[in-house]
Amino acid sequence: MSATTLIGPARSRVDGRLKVTGAAKYSVEFEVPKCAYGWTVESNIAKGKITAIETKAAQAVPGVLAVLTHLNMPKFKEAPKKEGGGGGAGIRNEERFPLSDDGVYYAGQYVALVVAETIEQARHAASLVRVSYAPEEPLLTMEAAVRKADKPKKNNDTPVQINKGDVATALKDASLVKIEQTYITPTETHNPIEMSGTIAHWEDDQKLTLYDATQFVKGVQNILARSLGLELENVRIICPFVGGAFGCKGAVWMHVLLAAMGSKVAGVPVKMHVTRRNMFVGAGHRTPTRQTLSLAATKDGKLQAIQHVSETLTSPVGQFTESCGSRSTGVMYESPSIRVEETVYPVNVSTPTFMRAPGECPGTYALECAMDELAIALKMDPVALRLANHADNHPTKNVPFSAKHLREAYQLGAEKFGWSKRNPELRSMRDGDLLVGWGMATATYPAHKMSAAAKVILRADNSATVQCATHDLGTGAYTAFTQISSEQLGVPFEKVTFELGKSDFPFGPVAGGSNSTGTVGTAIHEAAVLLHKALAELAVKDSKSPLYNTKIEEIGMVAEGRIGIVTDQTKSDSYADILKRAGRDSIEVQSEQKPPEENKKQAFQSWGAHFCEVKIDPLLPRVQVTRVVSVMNCGRIVSAKTARSQIMGGVTMGIGMALTEETSYDPATGLPVIRNLADYHVPTNADVPEIDVSFVGEPDFAFNPIGARGMGEIGITGIAAAIANAVYHATGKRVRDLPITPDKLI
Amino acid sequence: MNPFTYSRAADAAEAVSALSAKPHTKFLGGGTNLIDLMKMGVETPAQLIDIGRLPMAQVEELPDGKGIRIGALARNSDVAEHALIQQRYPLLSQALLAGASPQLRNMATVGGNLMQRTRCYYFYDPAFPQCNKRNPGSGCGALKGYNRIHAILGQSEQCIATNPSDMNVALAALEAVIRVQGPKGEREIPIADFHRLPGTTPNVDTNLKEDELITAVDLPAMPFATRSHYLKVRDRASYAFAIVSVAAAIEMDAGKKITAVRIALGGVAHKPWRAKKAEQQLMGKDADEKVFRAAAEAELAAAKGYEHNSFKIELAKRSIVRALTTVAGMNS
Ligand SMILES: Cc1cc2nc3c(=O)[nH]c(=O)nc-3n(C[C@H](O)[C@H](O)[C@H](O)COP(=O)(O)OP(=O)(O)OC[C@H]3O[C@@H](n4cnc5c(N)ncnc54)[C@H](O)[C@@H]3O)c2cc1C
Ligand code: SF4
Repeated sequence: MSATTLIGPARSRVDGRLKVTGAAKYSVEFEVPKCAYGWTVESNIAKGKITAIETKAAQAVPGVLAVLTHLNMPKFKEAPKKEGGGGGAGIRNEERFPLSDDGVYYAGQYVALVVAETIEQARHAASLVRVSYAPEEPLLTMEAAVRKADKPKKNNDTPVQINKGDVATALKDASLVKIEQTYITPTETHNPIEMSGTIAHWEDDQKLTLYDATQFVKGVQNILARSLGLELENVRIICPFVGGAFGCKGAVWMHVLLAAMGSKVAGVPVKMHVTRRNMFVGAGHRTPTRQTLSLAATKDGKLQAIQHVSETLTSPVGQFTESCGSRSTGVMYESPSIRVEETVYPVNVSTPTFMRAPGECPGTYALECAMDELAIALKMDPVALRLANHADNHPTKNVPFSAKHLREAYQLGAEKFGWSKRNPELRSMRDGDLLVGWGMATATYPAHKMSAAAKVILRADNSATVQCATHDLGTGAYTAFTQISSEQLGVPFEKVTFELGKSDFPFGPVAGGSNSTGTVGTAIHEAAVLLHKALAELAVKDSKSPLYNTKIEEIGMVAEGRIGIVTDQTKSDSYADILKRAGRDSIEVQSEQKPPEENKKQAFQSWGAHFCEVKIDPLLPRVQVTRVVSVMNCGRIVSAKTARSQIMGGVTMGIGMALTEETSYDPATGLPVIRNLADYHVPTNADVPEIDVSFVGEPDFAFNPIGARGMGEIGITGIAAAIANAVYHATGKRVRDLPITPDKLI
Repeated sequence: MNPFTYSRAADAAEAVSALSAKPHTKFLGGGTNLIDLMKMGVETPAQLIDIGRLPMAQVEELPDGKGIRIGALARNSDVAEHALIQQRYPLLSQALLAGASPQLRNMATVGGNLMQRTRCYYFYDPAFPQCNKRNPGSGCGALKGYNRIHAILGQSEQCIATNPSDMNVALAALEAVIRVQGPKGEREIPIADFHRLPGTTPNVDTNLKEDELITAVDLPAMPFATRSHYLKVRDRASYAFAIVSVAAAIEMDAGKKITAVRIALGGVAHKPWRAKKAEQQLMGKDADEKVFRAAAEAELAAAKGYEHNSFKIELAKRSIVRALTTVAGMNS
């Protein structure tokens, strides 16, 4: 299979057998001798000061090794860096170190740690810790926090406040068709099957090994080394498998620091498994958003103004912001005037973090609902309206998009779905007594590029091992990287072993921003070039080689397992022969980690279109999604099966976002009331129809040598809008606050 | 989690005497509710008596056509799949299958299901300071808190929790009789008297005495139970507690005149809510959607909603109508 086709082979997962037999070891499943257990005590007030902590009863429980509070917690070394994204310094969304003072900043904050020989002892002892507080009036809602507004200028170096053209004048122009609406999304919680967890094991007082469920082994290594005052190479992070993450394992959360410090104090390895209950507080969530969209268009549907004002929350000790407008309206449609405003309010609620398509996901929900409302105001077909405003150039950077095939995505999606048979009349389509609604929306996600390095060991038996400190979150990255390695190195798929999830390996960035396939793929590509060069160097000095005395620059891979003269492929030599004649068992190369090259002449962004059908019982109006067609344009699709699964996963999560998922809070204490999987409703199989996924476009080689823009997140963008639009089409009722539960349609 | 002792009872008598022998003793059925609550620190028994292997898991016919007896330790899934239940009391089978997930139903017992506690968030998580059910006198956190899943009928200012069970709603419509055994012998409690309204003592869910064991549930003969339907409205298609549910059975003569009817509601009250007012209105009338709606209005006339759950009032009415049109064979 050549690396230039749009879609790569449909390989089954290389780690599939390990997973289904239970042999794949997740972080807290590692067995470390003499391992003790950590259990936390959490605050049940949202703001105030701890006035006393009674720990004697806990300490008296047999097996208890340490009880840590802010009164006896050793100090961490360095104030955490303000660092987002994929930089090597790691990510901390919560800036305050755990147990570092007597302050309470949100309900559920860890206020003590118990370490005991068994998990039951730790848990029981933790229940005996008594904390007294001097509570203060907390800020819990957007309304209450308004006066604390912060208008950030940038998010990860990208401007989030945008002013292009004159929005105000267009929005006042009486000759234009306008809509203005406010859309609300609730707090959502990631809820991967594998909860976060860490085992901290000090090999001596300068050497720490952590088995940590993380999306970023190098980041954890860096943060732990800095905050514990250790040499980088003395901190090892191990994480071969992750059972889902969706962003909640990208930053270093408090339990990781607590495990490391608890282990140091107790003098034994410590395992901390974040409970499902605490996953709703201690590992981030998607902040709630309030977004007001104002659109103005000519009567034939040409947008003249888009204004996207978004308000979100963060915690008093956090710095994460969800940039809704810049990441949706900022890239989506052609318009002479665009204004994006973003405001963040700090409230006494736990720290939010990135959750699958942070910004893009709630942003496209609001924008794509507003576009539907505009289409109705214009009496225009929703697809036609989007085509009329298609952006060939990036609407705010004014450079052309590379390999953009969104028009084809609309077209193929509409065809597969049968969109032309849609009766635009509200409540007009029926299936027996059920109301039927058809809706669509655009999906988009940027192509992110970070830096990585890879090491390749090629052996004379034609097998290869490739290593990078990257991650497989359950997405199929092992398989995709094995496939990229096979193609780039010229080694059969079955003979490649790809290793990841260890900080000892060459640098891999955070598995976030849908960057891994492209970034690590590029590193593998660079290592492959080095490998072919190293082999060429052996061959040109070897009189028995057909390549003897050839110029190195003329040599490259010409077939699987062979390098040769690129312009004259009759002259070539096999890897195995070159190594054998040189008397080598193996050869090793490692690519260099360098900042990604920036191409300022083009913009790189992935696109897609979702079409969906819902059916609703008008008497008992629970929305059932009955059909989804998703067409994606993400550059090259490296691995057909795992890519399809990613889109299906994104759509599934989007169904949850649209219809069922919400983390609600108690207005009095600020504690979440939804804290388990019985109450937090992720979609079940019965909620998810067959999802028809296809890909259009071409490899985007202007973006990277793999041609892949990544596609882990795009599936969730737009889908909630497509569903909300279908619900409106079915019922004539526009629900502008998610999730669309039955009570909102009665 | 509190330290506790664990033992397994050999027979019902041993279980009952172990219960009275030591304070803070609890029976362990399938454990799907009790273990959760122990982990949360809501239940803190000092002793667990595992009754899971007591020989009380049969589903058998009572003599003289008096109905069916289900052992208290019959698993929810076994009851739901049992041929006798499916043929004569399909309502119970449907209700059980509408509940929880296959894994949970395989563990959950009939006795445990009758005794399962409310899913009120404030009850379930001791981090919340207020809950009269968990901590009498502390107040009701839900009253002014997040109360989307709470009661609209029969609640008190002290507690607005609901009974979360699907099975119990079907049992209420089928007029089941709960058989219990205490130190002084056996007694029977009609389902209508088994669960309580919260009143001023919401900490007491049922009229089962602290020293009693549920041994069986009797379903009296009810020929028209074959014409029945369990309707469950929930937030997602599967694996969610009911926001509102309706168990309905109907008997009509050839002219569509209603000659017998049973309606019970779930998700609306502290106990499975037998809709007697609606039933009375329907008796002798011709089955018709308007008549059903009027009966539903009558039943819900006294309903009261709170900040997040008022929608349940209309939803309950509509659900009654839908359940009745379904059993009356009026749906397309
Ligand atoms: C995630 C989840 C979802 C669920 N969804 C639903 C749903 O949709 N619908 C629904 O109806 N239910 C649902 N359930 C609840 C489930 O039905 C109950 O947990 C189950 O029926 C309890 O039975 P058990 O045998 O496991 O009880 P246990 O947990 O063993 O016991 C519960 C209580 O009953 C007492 N007890 C048990 N047996 C006896 C006896 N013979 N005599 C006296 N006391 C006894 C115990 O002491 C304990 O106090 C759900 C539960 C979970 C965890
Ligand atoms: S409704 Fe009942 S169970 Fe819930 S908080 Fe109030 S008293 Fe407790």
